[in-house]
Amino acid sequence: MKRLLPLNEKARSLAAPAASQPSGEAALMSNVVGCTTTFDPGWELDAFGGMANLCQPIEADLYGCTDTCWWPAQLADLVNTSPEWSDGKNSAIRDWRELQILFPED
Amino acid sequence: MSAMNPMNHFPRLDRWRALTRMAAFSVGLLATLAASAAGAAGDAAALLQEKCGACHLEEKGWQRITNIRKTPEGWDMTLVRMGIWHKVELSRAERKTLVKYLADHQGLAPEESQPHRALIERQPNSVDVSPSEELTQMCGRCHSVGRVALQRRDADEWRKLIHTHVGQFPSIEYSSLGRDRNWFELAQGDLSRRLGELYPLRADAWRKWQAARHAAPTGTWRVAGHRPGWGRYAGYMEVAALGGDRYDVRYELNFDAGNTLTGRGESVVYAGYEWRGAAQLGNLDTLSVFAMSPDGKRMAGRWFLRKADEIGARFEAIRVEAAPAGTILSLSPSLLKAGETTEIRVAGVRLGDRFDFGPGIEVDKMTRISEHEVRLVVSVAGDASVGWRTLGKPDVAARVAVYRQIDRVRVEPEFGYARLGGGTVAPVTAQFEAIAWLDGPDGKPDTDDDVRLGPMDAQWSVDNHDERARADEDARFAGVMEPHGQFIPAPAGPNPARNDLSNTGDLSVVAKVVDGARTVTGTGRLVVAAQRWNTPPLR
Repeated sequence: MKRLLPLNEKARSLAAPAASQPSGEAALMSNVVGCTTTFDPGWELDAFGGMANLCQPIEADLYGCTDTCWWPAQLADLVNTSPEWSDGKNSAIRDWRELQILFPED
Repeated sequence: MSAMNPMNHFPRLDRWRALTRMAAFSVGLLATLAASAAGAAGDAAALLQEKCGACHLEEKGWQRITNIRKTPEGWDMTLVRMGIWHKVELSRAERKTLVKYLADHQGLAPEESQPHRALIERQPNSVDVSPSEELTQMCGRCHSVGRVALQRRDADEWRKLIHTHVGQFPSIEYSSLGRDRNWFELAQGDLSRRLGELYPLRADAWRKWQAARHAAPTGTWRVAGHRPGWGRYAGYMEVAALGGDRYDVRYELNFDAGNTLTGRGESVVYAGYEWRGAAQLGNLDTLSVFAMSPDGKRMAGRWFLRKADEIGARFEAIRVEAAPAGTILSLSPSLLKAGETTEIRVAGVRLGDRFDFGPGIEVDKMTRISEHEVRLVVSVAGDASVGWRTLGKPDVAARVAVYRQIDRVRVEPEFGYARLGGGTVAPVTAQFEAIAWLDGPDGKPDTDDDVRLGPMDAQWSVDNHDERARADEDARFAGVMEPHGQFIPAPAGPNPARNDLSNTGDLSVVAKVVDGARTVTGTGRLVVAAQRWNTPPLR
């Protein structure tokens, strides 16, 4: 935002929230280790503490998450970290069983 | 066998002990071990130069590397990341050698890792420990804050980590709790300074710990613990040095239920106190994560299945040679119902013959099993006062609770996760326990004087958590609750029988405990979540 200056009132109103402190976007902060609290839409739970707004089945939209590095702590990040993770597995809903776990055993 | 031998009731360990003693006196073996220990450090320094020095410049140590301290798991994750990101090729042995060297020279002091032991021990359903809401939002929304708090850097080095995050994971700025603020500016400014203050590279705790003499874990340990779903156990651990902070370990764990796990394994102690072991216990392939107390007299932690780290047991140990006579490690069962007679198993070190539970509890009979274990038959008067009774020296484990009737049952964990498994991903089960509570002297629930009595047998079931779960029949599809409170999730993937939804589910967990003529019910919640493909040791 440093190089984009708002020119009118509408643009200034859009810039203001970004410059302010955190707005408290998340409705629920469930801090169980291993679960993400990035609730858009969420991996384990959604922003309302339920599961109704999650992708179902997740395999149908899996590459929608990994292509955009959406949950890099939970899944593969195809942008930088594991770009070859899904090579040859073009349909996640058909090929998900062949996708490899990411952290090697000790 | 001498009557003073602490293992004289324990023939299998005794034979092994004699053999290792003979081996230890072998001059040739000792010379070999000493050489291999010295060699390991030399190997590690050379490896660091060869594998890391190709990119990290040498200036007052190694650029970046020397400016960070971490746990063994933290360093292991770093090495794996270097392999994935920068194609550094390390064999399994080289990886272990480097982790040992780095965790020893740039590790954490016991008090630095203490607040986050549950994370290191991979305790399932543990709640993240965060010093502030800011850290929870800035870091803890993708991974635990504990993963951050188990590292030490100065502010500049934390700033470099922020740059690494944004470069590597660009979604950090536009996913939830990133896009509502100038995440990058906050992170490299105030947050980096704050992290440098909270978790600094240079700390007295580490300096003192490095300078201190660290005790070796060799010898005989009296151990006890609790495996959710199985119950309490007591036993022995025998540790013999192999050199280079590696140890040969023998276990014998006798569960109250009557089964015994024996096994042998090998462990490594990092940074003078971080015990990491692998052992075959019966038919269980296990890993152990323990921390030795700074004085070397106690050890505590958790052991768990290598392929399913959510399944495991608490572990507590005292060194037999160092414990005062009469030390009680475990009383089991620890719940005594007024008006009833109960047999208690007392596990400790050099136990005496007199056990005073206080007024209203009579010891009817004592049977000595060994120098370190007795069985007591105790009768509790119908009018005995309820609450905790401590035996001997004040010790958390050495106490029993008297109750007349339980007031409540709480399901622990109150909020638990299981995960679907399939393909290359193992399922994650969820183990629940029914914990009995007393309301305390004020007779009111959820106040400070409540008494958590402990786990009781229960009849377990699951139900749909809400209307949505009912409509999707989550309780039918998400998995099965076993009689001992362990939930086994269903397979992952689209389920044709469910209109191709996966078997995720939002469930209520119900425990029914029979207490005399009453049945007391407790309820928890279980989310059966989608699988995760990234499963590092610190999540």
